[in-house]
Amino acid sequence: MLLREETYRQQSNFAHYCRTGEFLPIKGVDEKRVHHYSRLVFNVIDDTLRSAFPLTVDLFSEEEWETTTRRFFASHRCNSYSVWKMPFEFYQYIISSEDELINKFPFLDELLLFEWTEIEIHMMEDKMFPEISFTGDFENDVIAFNPEFKILQMKYPVHLKNPNEITETDEGVFSVLIFRQPETGNVQFTDISYFFYRLIQKIMNEQKPLADFIGEAEQTFGVERSILLTNTIPFLMELQQNKFIIGFKK
Amino acid sequence: MIDERTANVGIGFRKEFAEEFLAGNVLSPAFVEVAPENWMGIGGYWKKIFKRVAEKHEIYSHGLSLSLGGPDELDWEFLKNLKSFLKEYDIKIYSEHLSFAKCDNAHLYDLLPVPFRWDAVQHIAQRIKSVQDFLERKIAIEIVSYYTPVAAEMSEVDFINSVVKEADCNLLLDVNNIYVNGFNHNYDTKEFLQKLSLDPVAYIHMAGHEKVADDLIIDTHGEPIIQPVYDLFDYTVQILPQPVPVLLERDFNIPELTELQFEMNRLENICTKHWRNELVTA
Repeated sequence: MLLREETYRQQSNFAHYCRTGEFLPIKGVDEKRVHHYSRLVFNVIDDTLRSAFPLTVDLFSEEEWETTTRRFFASHRCNSYSVWKMPFEFYQYIISSEDELINKFPFLDELLLFEWTEIEIHMMEDKMFPEISFTGDFENDVIAFNPEFKILQMKYPVHLKNPNEITETDEGVFSVLIFRQPETGNVQFTDISYFFYRLIQKIMNEQKPLADFIGEAEQTFGVERSILLTNTIPFLMELQQNKFIIGFKK
Repeated sequence: MIDERTANVGIGFRKEFAEEFLAGNVLSPAFVEVAPENWMGIGGYWKKIFKRVAEKHEIYSHGLSLSLGGPDELDWEFLKNLKSFLKEYDIKIYSEHLSFAKCDNAHLYDLLPVPFRWDAVQHIAQRIKSVQDFLERKIAIEIVSYYTPVAAEMSEVDFINSVVKEADCNLLLDVNNIYVNGFNHNYDTKEFLQKLSLDPVAYIHMAGHEKVADDLIIDTHGEPIIQPVYDLFDYTVQILPQPVPVLLERDFNIPELTELQFEMNRLENICTKHWRNELVTA
């Protein structure tokens, strides 16, 4: 590197000040003005995180938000060159370094992941859609799913309840399907039962018709085939209407 | 590219006005500038919007994260993705800032002032050359606004001229930044422009700013261009050796599109006044 160690040190001290507010000596700097850099740099971080995590902002006190975001920016080295991806680093930072907050809000990791996933699905690169037939039979054809999705499995209903009202008594098993509508690009959330979570996973992984799994489900859940189908088909039709099911494999 | 007009005035594209821009014809820029970091590696709604913009308009790109003035290694993964992006959308202009935005492996998402020093000149020039070699094109570097010098050992204008000469790159002249710096650091902006090497100027940016104290202006891009900056632009256009494209930047406080078009018209009128008989090339 052609940069002298001493020049590097000036830049490093300047960047350190912007990230932490801790002023180390910087030659020739105007001490009356330098705080503007710290303010402007932090504004970008704060604005980006507030817009990414509105539910978490609402959950935290203003002081909690301010001190947490400042600790994050001071102690975590942001690696994303695109600022819109930086909130994912905030999520990673919280789950690895903010035990006190996680203890206070046991669902915080899930809430942050849920909020981030909306951004991730909205922005993710387009995926190849399979060749499909728009008409088919839910029971006997292989259902084709929209590939732009994620299913989060959670212990707390962060997708169903105001986070301020969630308590430890809400703990359970929750699944939320998050997908992007192909035409509009809008992100949709659907609460799904564990049964449907498993069913979607199985159809995707094994590429077999629903009929093949109903028999297994009959055994596993001890429910009659006709009842399973009566409950499953309307749900799949709803997923088709919402564009998570895009058709049937050719 | 040769545009069949004497002025080539574009607009910095913002998501805030994307739909209105595409739906109507209030805003008629000669080109549209985007920050690649916001549009690379995405899909869905915003990719569709970007494709529609790129179908209708020539795209210029203006980077934010490369940190040419920074001490960290260049991000080759980013450059690889950038090169594909420039190719995919046939983007002929890529510019970046003469500043740093990453240090000690941490992005700061803002443009920090570099030390005006000879070793920094050599360091930055070498990085610009590496980027130009990799992208197989000349890039334009922007003179940024700054609020405090950092460890300066030479004048700002000598520093800029040296970087441009050593790197053999183009210069992006942000006239508002020159005005802001002249005000903040108490120098004569016309004298500064006279000392600046103008041959490499390939592109101009224009924007508004905010005066936050009697002796300090912050370069916000959140206000309309003020008259003294138009005046400095008029002067700059007269002394430039050749016509170049001009961009209006408005990042915050976005007004009605008619207001942006009004500002673009003013810029175009000034260009046309002085470049009447010349074509703008990019």
